Amino acid sequence: MKNDTKVAGKKTLKKRLRRFLPMYIMALPGLIYLFINNYMPLPGLVLAFKKFNAKKGIFGSDFIGLKNFEPLFKTKDAFVITRNTILYNLAFIVINTILAVFVAIMLAEMTSKLKKTYQCLILLPFMISMVIVSYLVFGFFSNDNGFVNNTILKWLGKDPVQWYMEKKYWPYIIVFVNAWKVTGYNCIIYLSAILGIDRGIYESAAIDGCSKWRQITKITIPLLKPTIIMMTLLAIGRIFYSDFGLFYQVPMNQGALFKVTNTIDTYVYRGLVQDGNYGISSAAGLYQSLVGFILILAANLSVKKIEPESALF
Amino acid sequence: MKKLLAMLLAMTMVVACLAGCGKSEEKTTPETKSSTESSAVTSTAEGELTLAQQAIADRKAEAEKTGKYTKVVVSFFDWTGAPAGIDRINRKLSAYTEETLGVDVELLIIDSAAYSDDIKLMLSSGEQVDLFSTCGPGYMTCVNNGYTADLEENGLLDNYGAGLKDVVRSDYFDACRVGGTLYGVPPIKDYAIQTAAVCIGTEYLDGAGVDLSKFQKDSLGYYKCTWDDVDDMFAKMHAAFPDKIVYSTQDNMLSQGSCVDPVGGDYYGSLLDPANSLKVENVYESEIFKTWCDRFYRWNQAGYISGDALTDKNGASARIKSGAYMAMMACGKPAYENQISGECGRPMTVFDVGEPFMSSSAVSSFPWCMNQNTEDPIAAMQVLEALYTDPVVANLACWGEEGVEYVVNADTTINWGPGVDSTNSEYYPNVLWLMPNQYAAHVWEGDPVDVGEQTAAFNDNCPVKSKALGFTWDNSEYASTYTSLQNAYEEYAGKVIYGFVEPEAGLKELNDALKAAGLDEYMAAKQKALDEWK
Repeated sequence: MKNDTKVAGKKTLKKRLRRFLPMYIMALPGLIYLFINNYMPLPGLVLAFKKFNAKKGIFGSDFIGLKNFEPLFKTKDAFVITRNTILYNLAFIVINTILAVFVAIMLAEMTSKLKKTYQCLILLPFMISMVIVSYLVFGFFSNDNGFVNNTILKWLGKDPVQWYMEKKYWPYIIVFVNAWKVTGYNCIIYLSAILGIDRGIYESAAIDGCSKWRQITKITIPLLKPTIIMMTLLAIGRIFYSDFGLFYQVPMNQGALFKVTNTIDTYVYRGLVQDGNYGISSAAGLYQSLVGFILILAANLSVKKIEPESALF
Repeated sequence: MKKLLAMLLAMTMVVACLAGCGKSEEKTTPETKSSTESSAVTSTAEGELTLAQQAIADRKAEAEKTGKYTKVVVSFFDWTGAPAGIDRINRKLSAYTEETLGVDVELLIIDSAAYSDDIKLMLSSGEQVDLFSTCGPGYMTCVNNGYTADLEENGLLDNYGAGLKDVVRSDYFDACRVGGTLYGVPPIKDYAIQTAAVCIGTEYLDGAGVDLSKFQKDSLGYYKCTWDDVDDMFAKMHAAFPDKIVYSTQDNMLSQGSCVDPVGGDYYGSLLDPANSLKVENVYESEIFKTWCDRFYRWNQAGYISGDALTDKNGASARIKSGAYMAMMACGKPAYENQISGECGRPMTVFDVGEPFMSSSAVSSFPWCMNQNTEDPIAAMQVLEALYTDPVVANLACWGEEGVEYVVNADTTINWGPGVDSTNSEYYPNVLWLMPNQYAAHVWEGDPVDVGEQTAAFNDNCPVKSKALGFTWDNSEYASTYTSLQNAYEEYAGKVIYGFVEPEAGLKELNDALKAAGLDEYMAAKQKALDEWK
């Protein structure tokens, strides 16, 4: 990759264009999508500072300064939802990365004919809608008919637990469900990075008497590092966002669990779904993007200090 | 060529949208004025046509010139999305209104799950929708967002919707005023409720050997009984059907099971004695609420309630329809037994345990409104009037086409058309209660023919009417407090209202959380607004 860009840099613009034109055409649908979805709505952000009135329209509505941001910061829940969002995301980043790298290495080392089958099976949860996942989880934890209460706890001779009323179990359940769901998808990226590593390195290591374990720790993981850093950076950029389905559907929107399942997204959704207040929703969206933007810049900056090669930009 | 045309059309649409966003007000007002003036001139000259007739004649003349009638779009929701026969019904409807009003009418029926979002989008994007039901997005939300037109501007209601005043009483109009301005017309329906109507599947009562002859019937024809009687019946049913769950829960013990008035739109600060006092109090500390929690705790302990009551989001009647549950509570009204039996998919027996009540928001909960952006407010107003007063229009909108969707019996009640039922009907919105005037249309077989008069009498005779009837409160200044209260309620209420925790402790937990979320401040603001309104 690096070499290609250097060579291209020496050529004239015209030649470069001709060479990469097919690439640009390939990228065009994606770029158009990006433009329509991510750039065209940008002027609408002014709504965050306005009191929306349909008679006056988006741009004609009155400016009210920072008033739309008040509900986000004034409420007593602000601390809880921010804490939940950040801590869950940190847990996801660490646990999901370890699991995905682990699974990717296992798959890469596997020589069985069933490799493709395993790969598909592990990807399957990612394809399942969160609404269905929530009912799978419910199948386990339902009070009356759930598998855990009726089979496991009975078998262990323990009393049934009112799962949807007990806060303490849910951080584990949510982290587990999320890992189960996304590991298959994340490991594809790592797997493709591993497959891109020159096999010659492994062969010469094997000739030098290097064990499988040492090959993994000394070759695979160091060479995976740029990918891991990139993926982590992207995840940090989204640390203020949460998977809505995971936090809303999986706990069945259960009030008793709010302390441990309410994130910024679900809070905003709950607060606004009834009132339909566009100003406050835009304010929350703007706040999330702004903090995400700052975080990704900061994370990239620190990576640049420690390992300039791996920085995104 | 076609492509070019399509592109051109698309561009005009975009331009029209943009224009619609910003300048709507200036655009509509002069039009209204000029047409009012011109028709005023002609009517005095000819001395026979009223303003309304003149407007119809003008539109017809215009349609003759252009070959196209002004179109008025009317939007509301149903349970399944646009019915299969909607185009046919719209053609029928327009064929009739072209004659009577000189307009085309299009019913735009949207799935209930999408309606609230869709209608808000249409109202703010400039897409054509002229009249809409606020059931879904909410009346106050629509008014606060500026979606709704002032119905009395330039004499709109007086000159072009006078017929509305014959069917909607002036105090019901007044109940829909926000800050003195009329933005909506209430649907004609039961505003009063008979609280705490306990509905039990008749087959389960028979199976449990409950003797109904000892109960008196109330004025609506339902069995009058006490909560002790209900406890007694539940015990018998539980013994006779141990595999079925006795009671199908929903969070309606205040809204349908009490005469507490959620003044200003929510229960965070309510009127405990709404017929006599305008004092805003905390209902969650009241005896009324405590009694309910005790009752549910008792029922839960006795095994009448599902262990999954908190997580099960199905409707109470849908659960009974599934056959796993036996009883529920709702609120009664004339001809309710037919309705609830239909919803539950089996004959239900209704027990009247409460009393009649009309809350402050009963009338103004979901009026019909006009888009502030509508091109021709006069045409829209005249269509609105027809929806309330013209039986042909009301029948088409409520029931579909005669001879296809329904047939008329000798006594003017109706039943399914040949080979049609609720599963294959091409037009069966099944939302009579939100239609402008269901009583202008036919009555379904089995319901009393005079259900309209019965309902009106039921409303009029309601002995407990809230003193705050017509009070509306814009709580947008307290949006953050409201959200906190809502979260606190959701977090702590479920356990205690379905009897999963001991009431004393559960109520204390709930009240502490509500107070921490700012209940006192919120109640004080509500009281202040109420005092000013009084």
